[in-house]
Amino acid sequence: MTADDPQHPLPAGRPDAGYEAFVRLLVEHEPRLRAYLRGLLPTWPDVEEVMQNASLVAWRKFSAFQPDTNFAGWLMTIARFEALKHRRSMARSPLVFSDDIWEMLADEASGDTEPANLRRDALEKCLGKLPSGQRELVLQAHTPGARLKEIAQQTGSSEQAFYKTMQRLRAALLECISHTMAQEGAA
Amino acid sequence: MNHDALHHLIAAWLDGRITAEDSATLQETLRTSPEARAEFRRWTQLDAALREQAERGVEVAPSEKIVPVRFRTLGWLAAAASFAALLGIAALWQHDRKHTIAPQIASQPPEQTNTGCAILTRATDAEFPDAAGLRVGDTIRPGALHLTHGAAQIEFFSGASMILQAGASLDLISPWEATCRSGKVTVRVPPPAQGFKLRTAGMDLVDLGTEFGVNADAGGATEVHVFEGKVEAHPENAAMQLLSTGQSLRRDGNHTLSAGKAKPEDFPSIEGLNEISASHSRARYEAWWQHMQQVKADPRLIACYLFKHGPDDRWNRLVNNFAEPNVDSRSGGAVGVKWTEGRWPMKDALEFKSPGDRVRVNLGQEIYSAITLAAWVRVDGLDRKYNALLLTDGYDPGNPHWQIYEDGRLMFSIAYPIPGVSDAKKKNNQIYYSPPVFDLTNQRRWHHVAVTYDNQSGEAVQYLDGGEISREISPFHQPGRTVQFGPCEIGNWGLPTQGHQFPIRNFNGRIDEFLIYQAALTPAEVHTLFESGKPE
Repeated sequence: MTADDPQHPLPAGRPDAGYEAFVRLLVEHEPRLRAYLRGLLPTWPDVEEVMQNASLVAWRKFSAFQPDTNFAGWLMTIARFEALKHRRSMARSPLVFSDDIWEMLADEASGDTEPANLRRDALEKCLGKLPSGQRELVLQAHTPGARLKEIAQQTGSSEQAFYKTMQRLRAALLECISHTMAQEGAA
Repeated sequence: MNHDALHHLIAAWLDGRITAEDSATLQETLRTSPEARAEFRRWTQLDAALREQAERGVEVAPSEKIVPVRFRTLGWLAAAASFAALLGIAALWQHDRKHTIAPQIASQPPEQTNTGCAILTRATDAEFPDAAGLRVGDTIRPGALHLTHGAAQIEFFSGASMILQAGASLDLISPWEATCRSGKVTVRVPPPAQGFKLRTAGMDLVDLGTEFGVNADAGGATEVHVFEGKVEAHPENAAMQLLSTGQSLRRDGNHTLSAGKAKPEDFPSIEGLNEISASHSRARYEAWWQHMQQVKADPRLIACYLFKHGPDDRWNRLVNNFAEPNVDSRSGGAVGVKWTEGRWPMKDALEFKSPGDRVRVNLGQEIYSAITLAAWVRVDGLDRKYNALLLTDGYDPGNPHWQIYEDGRLMFSIAYPIPGVSDAKKKNNQIYYSPPVFDLTNQRRWHHVAVTYDNQSGEAVQYLDGGEISREISPFHQPGRTVQFGPCEIGNWGLPTQGHQFPIRNFNGRIDEFLIYQAALTPAEVHTLFESGKPE
């Protein structure tokens, strides 16, 4: 479904035709942008911040964008640069990968397209196949702002057992998605 | 490194809890193994997609007191799964063995549950401002229900039914209990629902099996009239009174009790509702027919099936094409399907039930650059993986297919050969899905569905009940490739592609209008088709 309001505030004023075209493209590519940045940045707050910055930079530079060329590629290039800037400001931690690995991941992820890897409808279908309690749990754990420790406590199991369950649920979902996408070639 | 160990490291990183040692192992693995990096990307993509899904789930969780349970699958299902159920599952995890999850994922989706307490069974010109979109057949959940216009009938799950007059304001509490805040209602309680309780400001009423009317006015006075049978009236701070047929009781704002002042005819009655609903249906039907006089003269129409059969069709098998100027060859032939009631009692429809049921049409070999398909349908069930609305015989390049996927999503598709690939059997299948729109709560009701497709923009826009539900451009789109129908079927697939895995696609339900245009209608035009044809 398309949303006609951008999720991220853009500079006010200049509500010209370019603005509308930009918002449209941005909204269309937002899921991909998010997924791309998630693979490069250790936490969701990092991702959200870089998405904001990248969207703003893209808007400022949009007049230089050639229509009918690859918007996604252009946007990912901007996002990568913004992610790199953000990385430099981060403290060392086990969550921050070394430069060479980061470069490899960024190179390889920019070639990804969503439909080729993880189609949303396949995810929905696979979520639908989970028993409702497990589906609820997966979604609860991925809700923005969710605290995994608290969810683990609510479920009454140990943290270790909870993390293990989450790991297996995610692996099962990925397997189901691959299977579904392989099967649904024809319609 | 085996999968499980790698998954453990990736999950720990994603969850923000990876140790320095594990991080070193993960980084070393990623550095040396392209497969591990691909796996890492899949996990991060899943993380992003799940977050998006969870956000959407939050948006659609029931937030107001009363929400008609429509067009929601995941959101309300997730919300309905109670916290208690979660705790129950938690006990199971502790016994979770390594391979128990994968088989579970292949099991059936959970059954849809119904958390309402009543059903809206009739509505005539009815407006419910705090339950916008409430339609006949909708389940009504506990909460406020205020009828500002028209008349309506609701049936509680206990069996009690209630007629509401404009101005009635209620609070539904359970299948057995409701509060009337103001306005006039009449309640009919059959034997199984004896004990149904209606509360008002100063008086509780327990029905002992019968029919009674209540008028609660804004000044705090409540009046009850028993038309038949017995009712226990419990006025606040006063003794219970047993009222029988013909008796009435009034409690004024100043707490004095007296016989009622109103006359039986002042209360809403089933006869009155029948009368206004018959005249309302007639008026809606005539307004629709009037509108169709303009619609059928639209030169953009390829075919216009209004499912109105005349006495001259002795065999009852002709599905007339009403488009003007008339192209008789595009009239349809009914196979198996039976004539039945449509949106209104005086409107015909065709009922599709058996795997053989279909309407065959031949739309000719003309080619088009844009199309619109628009129909009034009543889905009775989604029996097949793909449930046909309109399918061309076969699925040749440029043939449009319009169907409902098993999970309730509308699905439009069109296929073309892959550029530069000589094998004609290999096709790029442009499939456009809407979000899920049909589920158990909105089946067996009339809905307007439409899709427009334009071969320049490559955009397919799908509509439900006059509103846009999806707009998408296929990644395979190339401008300028034409659309062609040829022989088609409404409600079935006449000539499945040879060897196809899912050849049986018969529709289960009713159709009573089907329009096919050689242009992409604007959103406003689709909305008008809905507005002029909506049943209520």
